[in-house]
Amino acid sequence: MELFGSFALILAFVCALYAFCGGIAAIITRHPLLIKSARQAGIAVCWLIFTSTLSLVYLFFSDNYSVAYVVSHSNRDLSTFFKIAALWSGQEGSLLFWSFLLAIYVVSVLLTYRNKNGELMPYVSVILAGVQLFFLTISNFVASPFKALGVANSAGGFDFVARADGNGLNPVLQYPEMVIHPPNLYSGYTGFTIPFAFALAALLARYPGEKWIHLTRKWTMIAWCFQTIGILLGAHWAYAVLGWGGYWGWDPVENASLLPWLTGTAFLHSVMMQEKRGMMKVWNVWLVFLTFMLCILGTLLTRSGVVSSVHSFAQSSIGNWFVGFLCIVIGVCLAAYFKNKDYLKSENQLDSLASRESSFLFNNLVLLVACVAVLSGTLFPVFSEWFTGTRISVGAPFFNKVNIPLGLLLMFLTGVGPLLAWRKTSMESMKRNFRRPVVAGFLGAAVGFILGLREMFALICFSLCVFVAVTIVQEFYRGARVVRARSGASWLASCVDLTLRNTRRYGGYIVHLGMVMIFIGLAGQAFNKEVEKELPIGSTISVGKYQLLLQSMEQKQEKNYVAERMIVEVMKEGKPVMMLYPERRNFPANQESGTMVAIYSTLREDLYVVYAGMNPQNNLPTIHVFVNPLVKWVWWGGMVVVMGTIVALLPNRAAVVVLAPAEVPAVAKELTGMRPAQVTLREGHD
Amino acid sequence: MKNRMRIPAGVLFACAALMPPGATRLLAEQSDRTHQIGSKLKCICNGCDQAAGKCYHVGGAYSGPCDTAKTMLKEIDAHVAAGMTDEQVLKAMIQEYGPLAYVEPPKSGFGLVAWLMPILYLLAGTTLVIVVMRRWRKRPVTVGAAPGDQGVYVSPERLARAREQARRETEE
Repeated sequence: MELFGSFALILAFVCALYAFCGGIAAIITRHPLLIKSARQAGIAVCWLIFTSTLSLVYLFFSDNYSVAYVVSHSNRDLSTFFKIAALWSGQEGSLLFWSFLLAIYVVSVLLTYRNKNGELMPYVSVILAGVQLFFLTISNFVASPFKALGVANSAGGFDFVARADGNGLNPVLQYPEMVIHPPNLYSGYTGFTIPFAFALAALLARYPGEKWIHLTRKWTMIAWCFQTIGILLGAHWAYAVLGWGGYWGWDPVENASLLPWLTGTAFLHSVMMQEKRGMMKVWNVWLVFLTFMLCILGTLLTRSGVVSSVHSFAQSSIGNWFVGFLCIVIGVCLAAYFKNKDYLKSENQLDSLASRESSFLFNNLVLLVACVAVLSGTLFPVFSEWFTGTRISVGAPFFNKVNIPLGLLLMFLTGVGPLLAWRKTSMESMKRNFRRPVVAGFLGAAVGFILGLREMFALICFSLCVFVAVTIVQEFYRGARVVRARSGASWLASCVDLTLRNTRRYGGYIVHLGMVMIFIGLAGQAFNKEVEKELPIGSTISVGKYQLLLQSMEQKQEKNYVAERMIVEVMKEGKPVMMLYPERRNFPANQESGTMVAIYSTLREDLYVVYAGMNPQNNLPTIHVFVNPLVKWVWWGGMVVVMGTIVALLPNRAAVVVLAPAEVPAVAKELTGMRPAQVTLREGHD
Repeated sequence: MKNRMRIPAGVLFACAALMPPGATRLLAEQSDRTHQIGSKLKCICNGCDQAAGKCYHVGGAYSGPCDTAKTMLKEIDAHVAAGMTDEQVLKAMIQEYGPLAYVEPPKSGFGLVAWLMPILYLLAGTTLVIVVMRRWRKRPVTVGAAPGDQGVYVSPERLARAREQARRETEE
C-alpha cells in the first residue's frame, strides 16, 4: 500500500506538471482540446492526491510499521480516532494533508465552473495547478510521507525492515480538538488559494467587470470561516490542554494563523467598495495576493525554525523551498500588476468623509496595521539578530500592548460602519443613527464603573461592546419594523424574514455580534486570578469565591496511557457545586506526559484546575487553580461568528409578489362591482 | 548562544541542589512577587516565547512552568530573599542570561525599534488613507458625450451600465 500511495503521489505530480504547462500552452494557443485536457489533468491531480492520502490513512489503520512516518506518529494502542489525527501530526503527513484539502477546493472549482467563465477558467486552472505542483514537489522529493524504514547492510545497500510497534502520537495531540482543529485551520489556509487564483487570473486575463469578485466572495468567506474555526479551536485546545490558564499566547505559529485572517477580514469588507462603487480595485487585488502570501509565509514560519515556537514543526530545512515559492509568487503578482494595472482604475469618487466608504477605509487601515505589527513583532527576534547579532525576544506583553488599542479602534469602527450610509451621511441622519448607540455605550461604561470595573482598557472595551451591540440591535429593529408593518408577523419571524432576504448584510451583523461577544471574553482576561499550592489530601485551597477540597488521588490504566488524577470537590461560598477530576497522563510509548485540565465553566467565569504533578521531594500533589472571568463568551462568540458567516453564505430569498386586498371607496365598489387588487412587491427594504 | 545559556542554568541548578533543605523553597511556596517578576522575563528553554512565570512548554516534570522556567524562578526567589528590588532582580537576570531573557523588547537601543514600528505603521497608513481620500475627492466625474452632438448623448450600453451602477449603489 505504501508503494500504491507513493505511486499515486508521483503520478499526481506528473499530471500537475501537465496541467500547468499544458494550461499555459492552452492559454497561448486557445486550442479548445488543449484547454479541456489541461482541465481534466487538473481534476486527475485531485483524485490522485485523494488516493495517496487515503492510502496513508490505511497505513495508519493497518499498523504498517515499515513506513517511517507511521512509526514516528502512531502505535498499536492508539485509538482509531487519533490515528486519523496522526495523518497531520508530522511534517510530511501534514504537507500531504495540505495538498488533500487544496485538492478538494480545486476539484470543486474546476467542476463548478467547467462550463462557465470560459475566458477566465484556463488562467485559474493554471494558477491552481502551479500551487499544487509546488506542494506535490515537496511531498514527492523533499518530505515524502511514504519513506520506508531501512537499515544499511554489509553490501553497502539497504534492507527494508518493519518495526513491531510505533513511537506513538505526541500526547498533546491526543485530544478530540486536535482531530478537528488542524483540518479547519488548513482548510482556511488552503481555501485562500481560490480567491488568489481568481484575482490573479482576472488581472492576467484583463477579465472585465467585477465578476471575479462575485465568483470569489463565497470562496473567501468559506476559507475565512474555516480559518476562524481553526483559530478558535486551536485557542480552545491550548486552553483545555496546555494547562497555563490562557488561550492565546502570541506564539509565532498562532500569529501565523492570525495574519491571513486579518487580511482576509479586510478583504471581505473592502470588496464591498468595489462591488458597490467600483473603488479600491488595486487594493482588493493586493489584499487577496497578500492573504495568500501570508498563508505561505505562515507555513514557512511554522516549519522552518526561523522563529522559536512551542509547536513541533519548527525543526526542518524545508523553509528554503517555501522562501523560493514565496519569491516566485511575489514576482508573478508584481509582474501581473505592472503589466495590467490600467485595468484596475477606480470608477468613482469619494463624496464625503462621513460615508461608509471612509469607515471601510479606516477598518482596512486598522486591520492592516495590526497585521503588519504582529508580523514585524513575530520576526523582530530575527531582525535584531541580523542587525545587532543578539536575538531580542518579543513576547505576549508586547503584542498585547500593541494590539489592544488597535482592537478597540476596530471595535469602534464595527459600530460606526453600519450607521453611515454609502456616499454621504447627512448630519440629521447621523444624529438620528448615532444617538441611541452612543448613549448606550456611555451608560455601559458608567454601569461598569459603578460595578467596580477599574481597568481602563477593559472599561473602554465593555463600553464599545455595548455601543456596537446596540447598533446591531437597532439595525435589526429598524428592518424588522418595516417587515412587521407589512406582514404582521412577530418580531422574531420578522427578523428571520429580514435576514433571509439580505443574508449578506444581516449575516454580517451576526458576525459582528459574535465579535462583540469575543471582545467581552477577551476583556475578562484583565481580572484573572491564580493560585498554585502543594495540597495534602483532605486539605482545602481557596480562590475567589471557590473552595477546593482535595478528597483523594487515584491512578487509572488506560489503553494508551496511565492517568493519575485528583478528585476535587468544588464549593462556592461553602455550598458544594461539583466534582472536578484534573489529571496528568503518562504515555509509555514515547515517555512523554500531558495534562487534562478540569474546568467548571459558567458565563460569568471559569474555574480552571490543573493537576501540576507530584513534587518528588515531599511527594505532595501540586494544584494550580485559575479563576478566569468571561472565557465562555469567547467560545460562544466564536460560534455566533461561524453562524453569521453561514447565514451570509446563503443565497438571498427571492422577492415575493403578494396580492393584498386594498381598501376601495364605496362609490367605486358600487360603480364597478369589483374588488381591485393591489400588488405589493415584497423585497429587501434596503 | 544556546550553549552559553546552558552554563548559568546548569550552575543555578547545581546551586539549588546543593542548598540546605530549608534554603531551597519549593515552587508552590514562591511568592506572588517572584511570579510577577518571572512574568517579566522570558523562559530561555528555547522551546517557547513565554514568560518564565507562565512557560507551558510541554515536557517539564510538571505541567505549567517547565524545568528551565522553574530554575529561573528559583533564582528570582533567591534574589528576592536577598532583599533585592524588582528592578535589581530584573537587571541581575538580564546580566545573567542576556537580552534573550527579555519578554518584551527593552525601550532603549535596538529594542526601541520594535516599539516604534507599530506607531510608524499607523502614521504611515493614516497618511496614505488621507492622501487616497483627497485624491478620490478631487477625481472628476466623467460624462460621456458623443463629439459633435449638441446635447449629451448617452449610448444604450453606458445607460445600462449607469442603471446597473445605480442599482448596486442604492441596494445597500
